[in-house]
Amino acid sequence: MNIINSISRSLALFAVMGALSLAPIASAHEGDCPYCKLKLVQNTKEQDNEVVLKMGNKRIEYRCMYCVIKDQGRYKGDLVVYAPSEKVGEPVVLKRTGGKWTAPEGAVFLNIFNKHADCAALSRAFSSKAALDAYVAKHKVEGAKALTFAEFADAVTKPAKLKP
Amino acid sequence: MKAIIFFGLTAMTAIGLAQDHSGHQMAGMKKQTELPAMPTDIPGWLNAPGADHLFYKAARYNWAINRIPKFAKDMYATGVGHAMAYEALVRGEASTLETKTFDKINWVLKHPPAMPVDEGAISPTFLRKYGYLEKVFDWAHTLHFQTIDVFAHPGWTDEQKEKEIERLWEFYEAQPYAITGLPMNMDYLDSFPYSMKFRTDYPKVNGLFWGYHWLQTVNYDMLYRVPVKDQASQYEVLGARYHETELYKTDRDFMPMMAEMSPRFAKRFPQIANAFDNLHMLHDNVNDILAQPQLTEAQKQEQVKIAIYRVLATTHKGETPGDSEGKENTLHDHRHPPSMPGMGWMKGSEDDIMWMSGMGWMDMSACSHCSIPMPEGNPWGATVSAEGWTMMVRCLMCARDMAGETPGRAIIRAATNDPNRLLVLISDEEGNWTSNIEGIVFLEKFGEHPECSGWSRAFTTLAALEKYVADNPEYKDTKPLTLAEWAALNHATPDTYRKIDKPNPYKPGPPPSNGGGR
Repeated sequence: MNIINSISRSLALFAVMGALSLAPIASAHEGDCPYCKLKLVQNTKEQDNEVVLKMGNKRIEYRCMYCVIKDQGRYKGDLVVYAPSEKVGEPVVLKRTGGKWTAPEGAVFLNIFNKHADCAALSRAFSSKAALDAYVAKHKVEGAKALTFAEFADAVTKPAKLKP
Repeated sequence: MKAIIFFGLTAMTAIGLAQDHSGHQMAGMKKQTELPAMPTDIPGWLNAPGADHLFYKAARYNWAINRIPKFAKDMYATGVGHAMAYEALVRGEASTLETKTFDKINWVLKHPPAMPVDEGAISPTFLRKYGYLEKVFDWAHTLHFQTIDVFAHPGWTDEQKEKEIERLWEFYEAQPYAITGLPMNMDYLDSFPYSMKFRTDYPKVNGLFWGYHWLQTVNYDMLYRVPVKDQASQYEVLGARYHETELYKTDRDFMPMMAEMSPRFAKRFPQIANAFDNLHMLHDNVNDILAQPQLTEAQKQEQVKIAIYRVLATTHKGETPGDSEGKENTLHDHRHPPSMPGMGWMKGSEDDIMWMSGMGWMDMSACSHCSIPMPEGNPWGATVSAEGWTMMVRCLMCARDMAGETPGRAIIRAATNDPNRLLVLISDEEGNWTSNIEGIVFLEKFGEHPECSGWSRAFTTLAALEKYVADNPEYKDTKPLTLAEWAALNHATPDTYRKIDKPNPYKPGPPPSNGGGR
């Protein structure tokens, strides 16, 4: 009986995996940003993009740094935000403890998007100003300015004038 | 073996359907240009002036809803809100609906009555003009309350309660004012020249109405097969959501449906779920008719009678669920999603795939978290309620991780090894869970998602888990997890999850930039 069950489960697995393989490959971890409702931008081999907020056992993904800071008011407890940086697998880790934010020394932030569709590329964290400068040069971002976390948070919490 | 083939084919069909139509404009009914004409077989009682109301089936469980006092009060307040709005509409005070009347209703919602209020005392003009409609509403509301009373009644087994719910349905359906339990084409029922008028012109009050419908539909999975002692704690979460958000939403695409809000109940009692959806659609039709200033008083009376006729059980006598041959997009279109008999046909629906307001396109035959078809039979998996939605998932892991990636409090209702003991988990804002079963233990040996309902399970005792492991030696090295250990895990959105990218059928135009999904 166990053998039959085991075979049945294997066949079921095979059938479903087969079905999934027929579908055009979609990115893993698909979902929408809880703040802007746009699609989360997936990590690539070259660049991390998913902004992850941790609060207790909750692990909530956002599309960009702007969205997570804009939405922080809904959370009452302490937060940890893993902000994708210029280095794959090495996020800038921000913490909100007792309502006060801290960021790693030297970390800088970019926040220059005009349309929300561009937020994942233009609202980001960097481990250093040099890294931000390199990113800006590579992507030909005009008018970019390296912001400290305090400056970034201040800019984000100002009334938004974004195109939808 | 059949199950396996079906399992695979369902997955392929679901995915195929999801992608074949990606980016296409959804087919939906066009709005009709002519007012519906009076049918020749309209029941005689619709023209009788008598106040021959029906009352509750005598039973020991009546008013057991009061065992959940906050919920009972909120339910009683919904009747007051409806009555106030209808009275304003028929007294020519529609211009006050979004201001003075809204404020008055809102005050009642914030200070709900401790007992049911006779709507005739609040809306005498409406009752005088539309007494026949009130009979239909009252009778369906009685079914609402009595089914809730059964679930909230202590001392009966789940089987006894389910049998009584079936008897209640028979009791209800035998009366002339009964609304059909057949699934109806919601797109058709919302396609008349007056349709959508109320929600367009009075979005705040319509938001309240649809908020009531959210409450009246979300509660069934809160109660169904849930021990009475574990019902009120869930209402702490749902009631807060109702008062803080659901009442004031003005961006819903369509009214909340039973199978969206209480999928397990809708699957078990499809006739009742359909009757409530048809009742709520009748409410919408009536709102639209009364809000249409171009209609004369006589036309309004006639159109309300026609709207009632459309949903009466007598109008559909002898018809069967699923039957639509040659009657698609008509009054007698009784299609339903194959895996959900308790849901009528919705705008843009294709088999099990439908648009759910706030969630996007969802496949009702598949897990909402991993997109793998739901298991057949037991264990049936779990439901997750968070942010106003309730979704079916395959396993405990999918439930936990789906709740873990959603802001706010959440409720999980899940199968255990004991079919008579439903696990109810409630989380705080930080994802810390409390359980209704002391000593609950979990098995979780992370592997391939298509098998997750095998390796992610809850057991009421350690002995039960050990027995399962003995029968399934592939888990012999897996450590049983306490609630706290299990809660701390998170495997995020699985790679098998497939979002269905199609445009919102209620908002024609190019696909939204967010794909319209969750």
